[in-house]
Amino acid sequence: MKTATDELSTTFAALADPTRRAILERLRAGEATLGELAEPFGMSLQAVALHLKVLERSGLITRGRVAQTRPARLAPDPLDHAAQWLLRYREFWEGSFSRLDGYLEEMRKDAGPS
Amino acid sequence: MSSPRLELTAPHDEPVLIFQRAFAASAALVFQAWTEPEHLRHWRAPRGFELVTCEVDLRVGGGYRFVHRAPDGSRHAFRGQYQRIERPRLLVSTLIYEAAPATEALDEVTFEDTGGTTLVTGRTAFPTFQARELYAAGGAERGLAQCHARLDELLAASAPLPREGRRQ
Repeated sequence: MKTATDELSTTFAALADPTRRAILERLRAGEATLGELAEPFGMSLQAVALHLKVLERSGLITRGRVAQTRPARLAPDPLDHAAQWLLRYREFWEGSFSRLDGYLEEMRKDAGPS
Repeated sequence: MSSPRLELTAPHDEPVLIFQRAFAASAALVFQAWTEPEHLRHWRAPRGFELVTCEVDLRVGGGYRFVHRAPDGSRHAFRGQYQRIERPRLLVSTLIYEAAPATEALDEVTFEDTGGTTLVTGRTAFPTFQARELYAAGGAERGLAQCHARLDELLAASAPLPREGRRQ
């Protein structure tokens, strides 16, 4: 069974490569074909095609069905997941820091008027 | 009064986690609360969690260890070693989440006193994106779904928290 964490690991493994991150950045501006993606990176079509395959398998992008060009576009879901792993971290610190607010107030009172 | 906002940044191009939060106190006081066990015990875990171990040897080369017990009873241990201490402005330490002990992160916290208010910036640098993700999600083997279940419990347990600032 594929767990949510497996899925996240696949997403992050795909994101670990700078070229793939650059491709995702480019796709934020809109869908693009293999040729359009290869040009700015000075890479071969084959190399870019491999990166696209990794991104597609990780669910970060989808490819169009137009046989000749198969334009790539961002798939929103895995990146949303990637945002969710921060939730727990955020909860932890938000909870702790709101306690610290109250506690600093107490420390200040204990120290007497400054 | 609503709490000051916690700013979190997790860049796509670098495996770091950055938080920023203002506190209505001097840097000297915030630094003290941040580094002394008798003070840490009062805040360094959200309600519902318990800081069951809190050891601090605040000198360069000295170690620290925190163990949190989560509302579901699971324990999460963190340890590291202090590398730079510039009271009350800077604290640099290593950070190891004991569930993934092979992964060492570098933790840098700055305390910027802006006249009665202190802006705290924490920057944790991980060796890989995966290490960052696993750290923030709180352990690999548990899976995110379970983390979220725990989060729901936590939210239920801390109902009096102001609604604002929870989830944005």
